[in-house]
Amino acid sequence: MIEIAQVQNLLWAANAVVGAILTALLVLRKNYRLYLAFFSYVLLIDVQNILFFMTYRRWGFNSLIAWRIAWLTLGVLICARALAVAEVCRHLLARYRGVWALAWRLLSACAVLVLICSLIIGKHQWNLAVHSASRGLDLAIAAFIAGLFLFIKFYDVKTDSTARLLAVGFFLYSCFGVLNNTFLEHWLDRYSSLWNLLGLLAFLFSLFLWTRALRLPRTVPTREKVLLPETVYSTMGSEINLRLHLLNESLNQLWNAGAPRP
Amino acid sequence: MERGGAETLTLLFIFVIPVVILLLLLGWALYGSRRRAEKPPDSVVLEDLSRRHVLFLPQIRQALAPQDFSFLASRGSKKLARRVRNERRRIALAYVAGIQADFRKLLKLARLVALLSPEVVAVREFEQLRLSCEFSLRCQWIRSRLMLGPTPFSQLNGLSSMVSGLSIRLETAITELGERAALASELASYPHGRGVNLS
Repeated sequence: MIEIAQVQNLLWAANAVVGAILTALLVLRKNYRLYLAFFSYVLLIDVQNILFFMTYRRWGFNSLIAWRIAWLTLGVLICARALAVAEVCRHLLARYRGVWALAWRLLSACAVLVLICSLIIGKHQWNLAVHSASRGLDLAIAAFIAGLFLFIKFYDVKTDSTARLLAVGFFLYSCFGVLNNTFLEHWLDRYSSLWNLLGLLAFLFSLFLWTRALRLPRTVPTREKVLLPETVYSTMGSEINLRLHLLNESLNQLWNAGAPRP
Repeated sequence: MERGGAETLTLLFIFVIPVVILLLLLGWALYGSRRRAEKPPDSVVLEDLSRRHVLFLPQIRQALAPQDFSFLASRGSKKLARRVRNERRRIALAYVAGIQADFRKLLKLARLVALLSPEVVAVREFEQLRLSCEFSLRCQWIRSRLMLGPTPFSQLNGLSSMVSGLSIRLETAITELGERAALASELASYPHGRGVNLS
């Protein structure tokens, strides 16, 4: 147990250092202008680390005030993370107005559905309420990001590598959060000591990904793509779909008709 | 206690399996993304549209007609009939691959039109996705029929005739896009863009 606590402290220190480096990189490379919500999220993490350090030093790890500060800051960070994810996703696809309008609406609806289902399905224990909510949001974020990348693949969109790496970092951390909170919910007594340690490890990995993504200055994106007139899509789309439908109807004969014998 | 264990296992699967599925989906979505990013843009789309495999359907149908095989078999050259059938089947397989490539090109252009449109219709996009999945499955079916059994040349007719006809309208859309892009770059070269809204 003592060893786990020491490793946990080391990981927490490593998280704080890498988080500070990431914040400094965002400021020095002036990338905070491009990713303002993400910068706010990283800044809040730094503030949380400082708060934790002061709280634990003064009142200790097991104090009530430390517990309250931890859960309060978690709630704020969850909201900040959701905004940062939304900003990164906008960077990936918002240049294509039509497809982005379809994608964000559809994926937001799916994410809300996922969140509601996970809240209903999970164990309804008061002491695990925040964990359940965090898990639901993590799953919703992961589903949103995965869905967005499927849209990107479907429409063969060339994406910025920085935004892609940031999104992957959020996705992996969210996936791990779901697994971590699920294991905690079901093996509370045996798993609680590992829960925090593994969470810190996962977050450290995401911090490394984000630091790598933002180590160089990024340029402000160029003007929005020149788009086709609306009439082109409306006439083209129905024509194409009709042709594809007729093609499939003709292929349908293959399922029913036999082939002629030689 | 057993019920509690079963419930725990169920809840674990409810959360663990979706995470695994999401990880696999993201891996598949990202697969090849770097190669796609490095690949130069396709600059011969308009020229490719004119070289459509659908134009060769009559020749393929003629090659797969049973009369030739019947004639060879009736003359006692069963070995020759078998060889000819295999060669023509190979050609038909290549033809199906060509048809599929034509379909993919047209679909790619359709997606490009959707991508560059200020507004898309969800129902239309889903229908396109459904139709492309159906087409792929049916192409696989034809391919497997060609490889395993008698040649379904009558069904190839349906494949080919509907892939054609899309190209003319798509060429118009791409030409219009090129004209707008040229106009946009010309206006951008002026200090205030001549006061025109380019979005």
